Amino acid sequence: MRKTQCRVGMALSCLQVLGACSSRPPSSTSIDPAKLAMFAPLVAIAAPGNGPLSEDKIALGRMLYYDTRLSKSQKISCSSCHTLTEYGVDHQATSSGHNGQKGDRNSPTVYNAAAHFAQFWDGRAPDVEQQAKGPVLNPVEMAMPSEKEVVAVLKSMPEYVAAFKKAFPEQKDPVTYDNMGKAIGAFERNLTTPALWDQFLKGDQNALSPAEKAGFNEFANAGCPTCHAGRLLGGNMFQKAGVAKPWWDTTDSGRYKVTKNETDKFVFKVPSLRNIEKTAPYFHDGKTATLREAIAKMGEYQVGRRLTDAQIQSIQTWMASLTGEIPADYIKEPVLPRSTSRTPKPSEAD
Amino acid sequence: MLKKIASYWIGVLILLLIMAQFLQPDQTNPPADPSASFEAVARPPKELAGVVERACRDCHSNRTVWPGYSKLAPVSWLVASDVNEGRAKLNFSQWNIYSAETTQIKLREICRETMRLEMPPWYYLPMHPDAKLSSRDVAVLCSSGM
Repeated sequence: MRKTQCRVGMALSCLQVLGACSSRPPSSTSIDPAKLAMFAPLVAIAAPGNGPLSEDKIALGRMLYYDTRLSKSQKISCSSCHTLTEYGVDHQATSSGHNGQKGDRNSPTVYNAAAHFAQFWDGRAPDVEQQAKGPVLNPVEMAMPSEKEVVAVLKSMPEYVAAFKKAFPEQKDPVTYDNMGKAIGAFERNLTTPALWDQFLKGDQNALSPAEKAGFNEFANAGCPTCHAGRLLGGNMFQKAGVAKPWWDTTDSGRYKVTKNETDKFVFKVPSLRNIEKTAPYFHDGKTATLREAIAKMGEYQVGRRLTDAQIQSIQTWMASLTGEIPADYIKEPVLPRSTSRTPKPSEAD
Repeated sequence: MLKKIASYWIGVLILLLIMAQFLQPDQTNPPADPSASFEAVARPPKELAGVVERACRDCHSNRTVWPGYSKLAPVSWLVASDVNEGRAKLNFSQWNIYSAETTQIKLREICRETMRLEMPPWYYLPMHPDAKLSSRDVAVLCSSGM
């Protein structure tokens, strides 16, 4: 009888242990250091690739970033689609450009973008300086007819001419389209958002809660760091959309449009996970509204795993630690140069 | 009676195996652009390139050599799944998709996994004895001179 009681007691203890295990996160709340070897904290300033980042260049870039006169309608600026107070996005599936035209891809966040190894979803620009020159002339976006017209707008305002001279003192005629891109890029290079995740990586074990650590373990165990690793947890490689299962929408062939290589079909730059909870909607087409849905799709289409609701929630909890603080002072909208009688008038024409 | 039941189930199994042969996964290798390969992009030492070719190529490149047994279901499904996953995780034929940072991460992972004998997988080795890594091979993979 005592033996039986003992067995029943042991069985109950076992059930209690199992119950405790199933009601807590499946993994322990410590993180294997080997798993962290694939990550690194954010650096304060993304490495400059186009000369020194002078304060004058940054100040000029800030003005240009906010200036709607760089668009044909004079209603659209970089800030319209990459709203800095909204973590660098406009929360639209695809942004509205000239005369309400819609782009074909989601506007990615501009925060930390300078540290990406290539720009745009298909990586067609090598850095933010080159990227900044794209949308201004894109007929669907800011729709300026030519570089010459943009330079004419800038030269019509003496305050801009003076600002370009200060930013590029070594040049005789510094008001150029290339320098516009360089100044905007210089401003963007300081758009970084260090987060609790960085504090944790630097050694502060208490920077992440046990639930966040458990969430990271879920993320790592699911195989996500295959693509989302490094300083930005993405932004550092290309990958096919639909590795484990064909992507549900193959209308956009991705990087293939740039390279024409068969192997680049449906290949896109892996987006960074920094501030990911703040930058909905998701993916290149912006058709995935919530982060929960995005994590589930990544599990299904990229790593071939159907993640449970609890796993998705856990990963989402950890992702909150990737949200950094917006640099409020740095992004403050500046006073823009005044238009003059020589400044071209806005046009709504297509 | 038992003999009858056994014959029945063996018959069912054979029938299923025959039917499974009609459900073959795609084993066509994607194009491999030599200019995008590990050899062309990273310019590794010859010895390292040799180890990669010998031990990693089948699952981590677009130049998979599909052995005869990989054409038979259900083995074909497992092999195709492994190759698909392997290419997604690390592809020596598309080394140009990785940034300098990712390259370093991948190389560190190669070192870590081969040191822990996690790669190549144990079940791959009996049919591919050449892929077995010696301690010298692992040292070469872990060399920092890449």
